[in-house]
Amino acid sequence: MAQSSAHSSSASDLSPWTALLLLAPLTAVMLLILIYPLGLTVWTSLYNGRFSFDAYVELASSTLFLRVLRNTFEIAIGGTLVSLLFGYPVALHLAAQPPRKRTAYLIMVMLPFWTSILVKSFALVAVFGNQGLINQFLGVVSGGTLNVPMMFNRVGVILGMINFLLPFMILSILGSLLALDRRLILAAETMGAGPLRIFWKITLPLSLPGVLAGVLINVTLSIGMYITPALLGGRQDMMVANLVDFYTRQTLDWTAASATAVALLILSGLLVALLGKVRGASGLAGAGA
Amino acid sequence: MNELFGSSRLARGLVSSMAWLCYAFLLVPSLIVIPISFGNPGQIEFPPRQFSLELYRQFFTDAAWWGSTVQSLIVACLTTLATLVLAVPAAYALARSRLPGRGGLQGLFMMPMLVPVIVLGLGLYLQYSNWGLLDTTAGLVLAHVMLTTPYIMVSVMSGLSHSDVALETVASIMGASRLRIFFRVVLPQLKTSIAVGALFAFLMSLDEVVVAYFLTGTDSMTLPVKMYSSIRWELTPVLAAVSTLLTVLSLLIALGIIAMQGKTEASQ
Repeated sequence: MAQSSAHSSSASDLSPWTALLLLAPLTAVMLLILIYPLGLTVWTSLYNGRFSFDAYVELASSTLFLRVLRNTFEIAIGGTLVSLLFGYPVALHLAAQPPRKRTAYLIMVMLPFWTSILVKSFALVAVFGNQGLINQFLGVVSGGTLNVPMMFNRVGVILGMINFLLPFMILSILGSLLALDRRLILAAETMGAGPLRIFWKITLPLSLPGVLAGVLINVTLSIGMYITPALLGGRQDMMVANLVDFYTRQTLDWTAASATAVALLILSGLLVALLGKVRGASGLAGAGA
Repeated sequence: MNELFGSSRLARGLVSSMAWLCYAFLLVPSLIVIPISFGNPGQIEFPPRQFSLELYRQFFTDAAWWGSTVQSLIVACLTTLATLVLAVPAAYALARSRLPGRGGLQGLFMMPMLVPVIVLGLGLYLQYSNWGLLDTTAGLVLAHVMLTTPYIMVSVMSGLSHSDVALETVASIMGASRLRIFFRVVLPQLKTSIAVGALFAFLMSLDEVVVAYFLTGTDSMTLPVKMYSSIRWELTPVLAAVSTLLTVLSLLIALGIIAMQGKTEASQ
């Protein structure tokens, strides 16, 4: 059998039975611990004594759900925009460094990536909280009159959000910038284009795939955020993930909790699909090299 | 220095100052926690006006803190081992077979990375409350195995795509059994990618909070869950000591991974 199909099938190939045997345990675990609970969530949202879409109809007319959904979009999009605004210059700065220096700077960008989200949340409270470093400093400078609330409100959520999102944005844009053919810029310079013109006509347009991917990754990640709004936001900054927890533990309404979770699952599924499209169009070319 | 945004001094200055603002914002908060942890045990204070190890003493002697730390370490070790045992053979089978539906299986194994973790938390909560697995170590480990599978998968699959298939073919032609090939030819080549995946899975399980928050109670509470409720309700300075220890551990693991990846890249 192996001989007949030339190079595509070789002696190193496993027989189908061996392959199945090796794949079966992990597949079983995934069906049991991933697919089953997801199915159970969908089922719980639809079946409550009888089969109906009532839970979804109720959600759509619930002021709490609609307010939380608006919060979620506002925070996710706001956080992503701030992260883009600051992430782009960082990516430019990194792309401009010689490789050795770039690695050193990249470690600074990646460190928060490796830090526990709880450590980061605690650290942000210690710096930006009402008794935090910045407010202590402002208090001393102003003689105790100035205190800017930057935690347990919208500002706090956005600060926590961008602290988490920035590395993803930076790495995504950096990928595009490093793939950019620098001879284009050299040619433009030789022909007398100014720096601003070069940026608008070459650097920015060619980095757009990275920007788009970065924006989508940021929105996808922030839309399901739970810890940051719970720890750094106020009561009115509840996001969808916090609402799932609220229904599950506070009101013990598992049907509403499941319907909310399914809504979030669909929303993030759409974003992931979109990201796959963007990545498929631009990212794969770079990855294959 | 730079062609990307031209040689204008203003543009360069603006870009570097924004970049440094970001580096500071990403780094400083986590670093400031370190001096706080050696300072005043009564309140969170910076700059610390005294030196003391009291917060570390409290951390290591308080049953709630140290107990949850031990629990987290146990869960992370069990998770890493179980995920390796399940995922390495599966990755090997995906890479070295022509089974129909391989793409679908690979999608299944990568899926936990794409589903919002709160959705998984709720689903497992519903499932475990039916099955009596809530607040058990076994239940949490099982959930973490699912969550860490994609990361070990990615690492091992990339290792397999770089490993030399010809060696396996030669061993097979010379009559080595499948099992022998796997342990003597395949695994040694995958050492680095398995180690990288394992370290990553360990750190992920150690830091995982949302699913653990849904699934654990007083009996099986992990460190992140304890930290979460502490930040939420009391904001004790002990958190500074815990955070310092965790940051050092993450840093060591990250450096280990970077070093190992550097080694493989250099050898290729």
